[in-house]
Amino acid sequence: MNKDNFYDVIVVGGGHAGTEAALASSRIGASTLLLTHNIETIGQMSCNPAIGGIGKGHLVKEIDALGGVMAIAADAAGIHIRTLNRRKGPAVRATRAQADRQLYRAAIRQAVENQPNLRIFQQGVDDLIMEGDRCCGVVTESGLQFRSHTVVLTVGTFLGGKIHIGDVQQSGGRAGDAPSIALADRLRDMPFRVARLKTGTPPRIDNRTIDYRELEEQPGDTPRPVFSYLGSTADHPQQTVCHITHTNEKTHEIIRSNLNRSAMYSGNIEGVGPRYCPSIEDKVVRFADRNSHQIFIEPEGLNTHEVYPNGISTSLPFEVQIDYVHSIKGFENAHITRAGYAIEYDFFDPRDLKPSLETRFVNNLYFAGQINGTTGYEEAAAQGLIAGMNAARQVQDQDPWTPRRDEAYIGVLIDDLITRGTLEPYRMFTSRAEYRLMLREDNADLRLTERGYQLGLVAEPRWVRFSKKCEQIDSTRDELSSWFVKADSDAAKAIASRFEVPVQKDQTALELLRRPELSCEGLHELFPKNITCSDPAVLEQVEIQVRYQGYIDRQLNEVEKQRRNTDTLIPPSLNYQEVSGLSSEVKQKLIEQRPATVGQAARIPGVTPAAVSLILVSLKKQEMTRAAHAG
Amino acid sequence: MASDTIAAVATPRGQGAIGVVKVSGPLAQQVAKSITGQDLQPRQAHYLDLHGQDGDTIDQGIAIYFNRPDSYTGEDVLELQAHGNGFVLDQLLDTVIAEGARLARPGEFTERAFLNNKMDLAQAEAVADLIESNSREAARAAVESLRGEFSRGVAVIRDQLIDARVYIEAALDFSEEEIDFLADSELADRLTALNKSIDSLLSRATEGRLMRDGITVVIVGAPNVGKSSLLNSLTGEDSAIVTDVPGTTRDLLREIIVIDGLPVHIVDTAGLRETHDKVEQEGIRRARQQIESADHILAVREAGQGIDKDLLQGLPIDIAVTWVFNKTDLHEPPIANPDSLVSEIYLSAKTGHGIDQLRSHLKQVAGFTSTPEGAFMARRRHIDALQAVRQLGLSANEHVTGTGAGELAAEDLRMAQDQLNLITGEFGSDDLLGEIFGRFCIGK
Repeated sequence: MNKDNFYDVIVVGGGHAGTEAALASSRIGASTLLLTHNIETIGQMSCNPAIGGIGKGHLVKEIDALGGVMAIAADAAGIHIRTLNRRKGPAVRATRAQADRQLYRAAIRQAVENQPNLRIFQQGVDDLIMEGDRCCGVVTESGLQFRSHTVVLTVGTFLGGKIHIGDVQQSGGRAGDAPSIALADRLRDMPFRVARLKTGTPPRIDNRTIDYRELEEQPGDTPRPVFSYLGSTADHPQQTVCHITHTNEKTHEIIRSNLNRSAMYSGNIEGVGPRYCPSIEDKVVRFADRNSHQIFIEPEGLNTHEVYPNGISTSLPFEVQIDYVHSIKGFENAHITRAGYAIEYDFFDPRDLKPSLETRFVNNLYFAGQINGTTGYEEAAAQGLIAGMNAARQVQDQDPWTPRRDEAYIGVLIDDLITRGTLEPYRMFTSRAEYRLMLREDNADLRLTERGYQLGLVAEPRWVRFSKKCEQIDSTRDELSSWFVKADSDAAKAIASRFEVPVQKDQTALELLRRPELSCEGLHELFPKNITCSDPAVLEQVEIQVRYQGYIDRQLNEVEKQRRNTDTLIPPSLNYQEVSGLSSEVKQKLIEQRPATVGQAARIPGVTPAAVSLILVSLKKQEMTRAAHAG
Repeated sequence: MASDTIAAVATPRGQGAIGVVKVSGPLAQQVAKSITGQDLQPRQAHYLDLHGQDGDTIDQGIAIYFNRPDSYTGEDVLELQAHGNGFVLDQLLDTVIAEGARLARPGEFTERAFLNNKMDLAQAEAVADLIESNSREAARAAVESLRGEFSRGVAVIRDQLIDARVYIEAALDFSEEEIDFLADSELADRLTALNKSIDSLLSRATEGRLMRDGITVVIVGAPNVGKSSLLNSLTGEDSAIVTDVPGTTRDLLREIIVIDGLPVHIVDTAGLRETHDKVEQEGIRRARQQIESADHILAVREAGQGIDKDLLQGLPIDIAVTWVFNKTDLHEPPIANPDSLVSEIYLSAKTGHGIDQLRSHLKQVAGFTSTPEGAFMARRRHIDALQAVRQLGLSANEHVTGTGAGELAAEDLRMAQDQLNLITGEFGSDDLLGEIFGRFCIGK
């Protein structure tokens, strides 16, 4: 602790948002304090033991490209790693890993403990210290005061958390941890809009009591994918396999006949659960025609017998959980180690945030993670990184930075949250990104690392490695475009026989590569003297760029068309009541949401192109008035 | 400075000997070159041939190119002056759009002029008023355009598009579920069905029953109330009958009349009544079919009678109806009620008394106003959007049946949805996710 308990940035919460926030803030040079109610749970995966997946893997790669820790920890902890959508296009390919909980926690803890400028202190936070409309510190549960320039709150499901198992309820953050009631009450007194969400977990099972003999086995991928741009398979621990089983008619019958005892169906839960992660009760009721549902048996780690049966989250009473688990193939004699439960928690309407993730009502206070209505470690970590960085930049008197929707899934995530809000726990999907073909896992570094370096988020080793990759991509493109393959040449024949496509006219190798049958790696293997680089990541990158060229150009064209709106800032002083021609409904929406740019205004549901024109005209009018006064 | 190029017919539809197409934005010079075949000297009028997309001459006219910032909008501007014929102007506009411009929104030229410092502060309010009133009118015109058969066709296309997207996006975002629709031949079938619906609506919309230029008005009513004499009276007075298309049966008669340069297609139908006569039954069946595709209905009664409730009930609810009470030479018309919400016109087809009133009513119905942003423009926007949807739908189908590149098909269909949203209103990614979660049991 420094002598006067004063820091540039205080981060409250040691989950995925909190750790990335604290690391980002200290990376760019701000003295940072991470306050957590329990140091042992820093980096804890409180739900299923997996990192990545479609849309989420994209976020992990972006966090990594900006110098974050999540991908490195996922590599250190990944015990079963796959590329999803491998046979579909590069844009939707995504990395997913089963992670050993202990190894993951250890990797995060190590990163946090070894980070210069960062201190950790164990104590729950009960209150915020305010000066006018500015937050300038926190008060812990034992009354200690910590002062700072900015505060980042990443308190997850701990705000007003309530756990339901059947008709039994208890207050709690996640099973075993106390909720932050005092802080929740304090925040509820502020003008933020608050609502409830819910999420659920399945009962956990002892591995040794599962009969795996007849269950479908799911191995990891070979060759094994790697999360971090700095990583390699050498970082991975020992690998394991997963298994898949299914519910059956008997399972569904048990659930149906006990529905009235489920917390969700008895009306005890007011929060809204995610549509994409239904409880087993929901699945049985809403999809009554299905007589079976998939369950992924995910190992919790190498040194534990506990497994996470993904697909049967529930809020039924414990004795019913035992019954339905025993009805499932392989689980006939399963021993449940922890009961499944549903948890309800407060979240704050993210439309009350600025793009920097600073709150609109309290200056110097930032929110990141589940508190903003998102779900998932990756979504939380992405927000944490941006909030922590901007909290530190504010201290350094620098403008905030948030990636745009065409730059990163992180940009899509934050823009969706602050512009449209959310009614259910928000999770990333690739279909949320209108520039999906540009926002790929394979190019997250090309999209973000240079910016990250300028921001001070990216350290020298990553920058050096990235610069080398860029050079190799350029030189490989040069080699391809300056190599002219004549139709009847030996090279053409070799290409024709290797890829089973005739080369009918003279063309450059770059043009040839547009054909889906060819691969850049194959060309390198055939002609190592012409295509000299052997790095698969470089060869893959060149190939994807060539294949997607037409579509990428079209998307860039779209981005360019939006540019004026994206770049035009709306001053907070704009009085929408005085903007001529706007309907009262549109005025209402704009006053409520206070969009930061014209582009953001245009994305608010109900704001028409004509309304956007009227805002532009009004802004121009202000500018002309100012110029007239100045002149 | 805006980065996209906009275009519009700048003169009111169907009026005047000269029509002007305006283009503003970075592509203006390139468009000028491709339409005139020449590099135009800025700010000079050139009299020359104006070429279409295929290189054929559309018309002879005047082209003037203004380079930025010395133009009305402050951007590169091209003005094409041709004959004030709707068909010619449409072709010119088509060509400009094929070159990469898009249809301007109402008031957008003025908006750009203002944003690019071409107007002074005093004009700001006027600019805002113009944008506001023009877009209100455009919105009303869009509703007018989106009626009857056209509207139903668009609704079908929208459902089919969403359907296809649900399958593709579910396969991309939820590959771990026990669903892989990309590998499914059903998806290709769905895309084929979508493209078929678009083709069919476009061909009907552009060449026949849903004319892009003009509206279709169907005359209905019981036998012998004077429907045919009404048609004769409407067409007979008009010296500018363009065509006299024989009906598909002797019971269905189509005429095109031109009111102030605007074509109005009038179809006379068989009297609607219960009958055992096979030929007449067929005539009535066709009459009903014709009614379904109308933009507007003239329901004819004798002046002494009130509104025919039974007839009204048999008519589609989403098509506007005007009641025409004929034979005022025999029956005294009641005192007109100016507050009535029902459109009623009293006339005598025999003497011609009241026909002018009907003609000006039809003119109003057709959305003909003195600004260019009428129903025709609205329909034109709709057709443009559908044509873009069609292109993208074809491309998506190629990806699915060819390389199986799901993410490229998905990209095409997302853009198609953006285009269709211009007609049907917002359907965003969250709506799509809602559809997916509603149909498939997704999630662990």
